[in-house]
Amino acid sequence: MATNIAAQRIKREFKEVIKSEEVAQCSIKVELVNDSCVELKGEIAGPPDTPYEGGNFVLEIKIPETYPFNPPKVRFTTKIWHPNISSVTGAICLDILKDQWAAAMTLRTVLLSLQALLSAAEPDDPQDAVVAKQYKEHPEMFRQTAKHWTSAYAGGPCKMPELDEKIRRLTDMGVDEHNARVALSSYDWDLERATEQIFS
Amino acid sequence: MVLTENQPGPSNPLGSNAEEKEKDDRLFECNICLDTAKDAVVSMCGHLFCWPCLHQWLETRITRQVCPVCKAAISKEKVIPLYGRGTSKQEDPRNNVPPRPMGQRSEPEANVGFPGFGFGDGGFHMSFGIGAFPFGFFTSTFNFPETRPSPAPHGTPHLDDDTFLSKLFIWLAVAFIFWLLLA
Repeated sequence: MATNIAAQRIKREFKEVIKSEEVAQCSIKVELVNDSCVELKGEIAGPPDTPYEGGNFVLEIKIPETYPFNPPKVRFTTKIWHPNISSVTGAICLDILKDQWAAAMTLRTVLLSLQALLSAAEPDDPQDAVVAKQYKEHPEMFRQTAKHWTSAYAGGPCKMPELDEKIRRLTDMGVDEHNARVALSSYDWDLERATEQIFS
Repeated sequence: MVLTENQPGPSNPLGSNAEEKEKDDRLFECNICLDTAKDAVVSMCGHLFCWPCLHQWLETRITRQVCPVCKAAISKEKVIPLYGRGTSKQEDPRNNVPPRPMGQRSEPEANVGFPGFGFGDGGFHMSFGIGAFPFGFFTSTFNFPETRPSPAPHGTPHLDDDTFLSKLFIWLAVAFIFWLLLA
């Protein structure tokens, strides 16, 4: 019976989200992955005036059988550099996806909350400690890195030749591009330390 | 029912009627299942739910009972059932759900003209004060009815508690008087 409520509610929400003005503005999007209403694909646009601007971030949304009494399981499939999102798994640290969930929340409000999270990070409640440390200690470095990741993985417009060049130095040594990017990002784009870390 | 959102529709009257009908229906949607509320209840903060939906929500979050919409504190005892005119005796398809809480009716306050010794107007209350023996009678003799809360409405757990407590106190008082006489 519970599955039935979940499926019915998803169908209703789906209709609602398609009609919403955010979809009209292309800022959020939801798609069914299959007909079962158990797995969905979400998309949010990076909010303006953030390092994520111009990027398009894809989310994996899994609807539990007990939905809407329990929150949907959401993670980023697009790689992103953000204190509250794991740069490795895409896992999200957001209270409404955990204990602050309320049954009246919908896919639309969840996606809008995630968009708000991109605008306002919570470095004191981090998911990715490395990112959070950089966010606090080197805010400008963080912005550059997040912008770079947006352009590399989310189709963001800002090319950053200086950072790309450092990555190329590592890929020339036979390092995988993503691993090179992770190492450089984690060591504040210090090429020597990143190289050391990769080959140690 | 007067709806403030009712606005003169666009050129196509049929289309606007259907649209308005849909809008009307949406006004009475349960905030949890998003369907028209069945066995409707409303929380103290004014949010509408199906009773089975709200019950399941409260069961899911036993330690943190909050309104699913505004996160105000709510409890099973403090929701109000809504009885529309078209309510029929529909059986709830979901079993294992206790019945909706009863509506609570409190009697209107009796309007006592003379705010003193309110005998006769139904405002008489028995009570036993704790204190030195002779003074105890004063508290039970001179009653000021409006200072006491009205008795709990019928059919609620409070009423049972009240009757139990008053019986208990009567027995305590009797025992106390006997003890005084014997001592």
